[in-house]
Amino acid sequence: MPILAERGYLIPAVNTETVDYVACAEQLADSIRQWHPAANITILTKEMLPHGDLGGYANDWQCFAASPYRQTIKLEADMYAATPIDHWWTLFEKRDVVISQGCKGLYNEPSDNRTYRRLFDENRLPDLYNAVTYWRLSSTAKEFFELVRSIFENWNRFKTLLKFPDESATTDVVYAMAAVIMGVDAVTLPPGTGPQITHMKRGIIPTMTDDWTRELVWESTDPGLRIHTVAQSGLVHYHNKDWRIA
Amino acid sequence: MTQGVLLFAFNNEQIDYLAMAAWSARNIRRHLNLPTCVVTNVVDMPAGYQFDQVVAVDLPPTEQTRYFKDYKGVGAWHNKNRSNAYELSPWDHTLVLDVDFVVATNQLNVLFDIDQDFLAHRWAYDVSGFPAFHDNNWFGTYKMPMSWATIMCFRRSKKAELIFNTMQMIRDNWLHYRQLYQVSEHTFRNDYALSIAMNLVDGHTLSTPSIPWQLASVTPETKLIQIDPDTYKIQYESADSKSKWMLLTQDFHAMGKQALGAIVANPC
Repeated sequence: MPILAERGYLIPAVNTETVDYVACAEQLADSIRQWHPAANITILTKEMLPHGDLGGYANDWQCFAASPYRQTIKLEADMYAATPIDHWWTLFEKRDVVISQGCKGLYNEPSDNRTYRRLFDENRLPDLYNAVTYWRLSSTAKEFFELVRSIFENWNRFKTLLKFPDESATTDVVYAMAAVIMGVDAVTLPPGTGPQITHMKRGIIPTMTDDWTRELVWESTDPGLRIHTVAQSGLVHYHNKDWRIA
Repeated sequence: MTQGVLLFAFNNEQIDYLAMAAWSARNIRRHLNLPTCVVTNVVDMPAGYQFDQVVAVDLPPTEQTRYFKDYKGVGAWHNKNRSNAYELSPWDHTLVLDVDFVVATNQLNVLFDIDQDFLAHRWAYDVSGFPAFHDNNWFGTYKMPMSWATIMCFRRSKKAELIFNTMQMIRDNWLHYRQLYQVSEHTFRNDYALSIAMNLVDGHTLSTPSIPWQLASVTPETKLIQIDPDTYKIQYESADSKSKWMLLTQDFHAMGKQALGAIVANPC
């Protein structure tokens, strides 16, 4: 992909039979534009993948070649920008690769719930979330995504390195393994420094059911989002992929 | 700028809150060197009760009762006019204290030096170290962060007025807010109203400045006795079921009214 701009947001969105990721990505793009009308945003659809649709998570490594930006912030599609996020560029720009670490609950406090991270803890993997990943065109970023590709393509061998591995490779685990191989410091900011997504998964937030959208009061503040009357900050990973604010 | 401490005291069948307020006023004078004002419905002030000012009000209209663990019984709880503190206080800079908050040091004077219009505690802890108490720092099904109304320090200001007005709105519409925040208890608590009000007034960001230390609490399950005027002994069972005791030489919230009532009746 030719470089079109210095900085931009890349949102991969390949629809599946059950999930309209493109609609999710459009909602995320709209929410970013509410705060940053001039932001460069590319929704990376199936047709734009340089190597075609390899299925689900396995497409991830293609983002490096597909991005039209010299500096890219890749965002998972099922998120919503509840506040401005462009200060992240300043935070990231001196690094080649930054992957977000940890997540937070709906009261904007870092989560210490490990329900969904047992595999990481058992294998002493860094607590990475690919939901927010920055890179600049660099040999480090190239090496990282080549490693990600290699792990995805050779998952049957790589998974033997892990205790209790998933049958199929997932992006967060693959990123964490790649980070360990390259050196975690090379692809992260110091803990507590970078952005953390608000993870609306039961367990992280204290809901009784999986569908928080039916259980908690939520309000669009246009721009912005309140959940359970609390103003959210940064990116809200809404988890329930059918959730639409309008 | 005038300063003082505002106390609320409405007796019920079991608890003599006015006696606690009078005892607290003596401690406040000794340690904080501040005047006190009591808001009460008691018309004939008993001899020996020394408040600098008394604001006589009617008993707050309420049918509210609560279970008092130490009395093992239900009693009337007249707590619904705490949010009137803003208009009732005679001072520019006011410290509102629960009468069961034991002033044993001059630590609270620090609050008057903090350049904030309103301060309350975000965190409380059980001095005996019982870990389950920590859960009291949130309320409702979805664990909304709690602000404790045990101590409120406010300056005459738009922000403080707004917080108290909002507390009144929440009190007057408690059924709505109780449902919104999924509070299972029927009882209205000023802690809940304050927590919700702080969130509303600060733009729903939960970023309100708070008192820069935690609220020490002695639970009703803990035995409390006074050793000397400013030293207290607590006896309790630890998390590993061992009988323990410790001395307290600090300010604390005595949540067991029976034990505090006994101290107030026979002080050292």
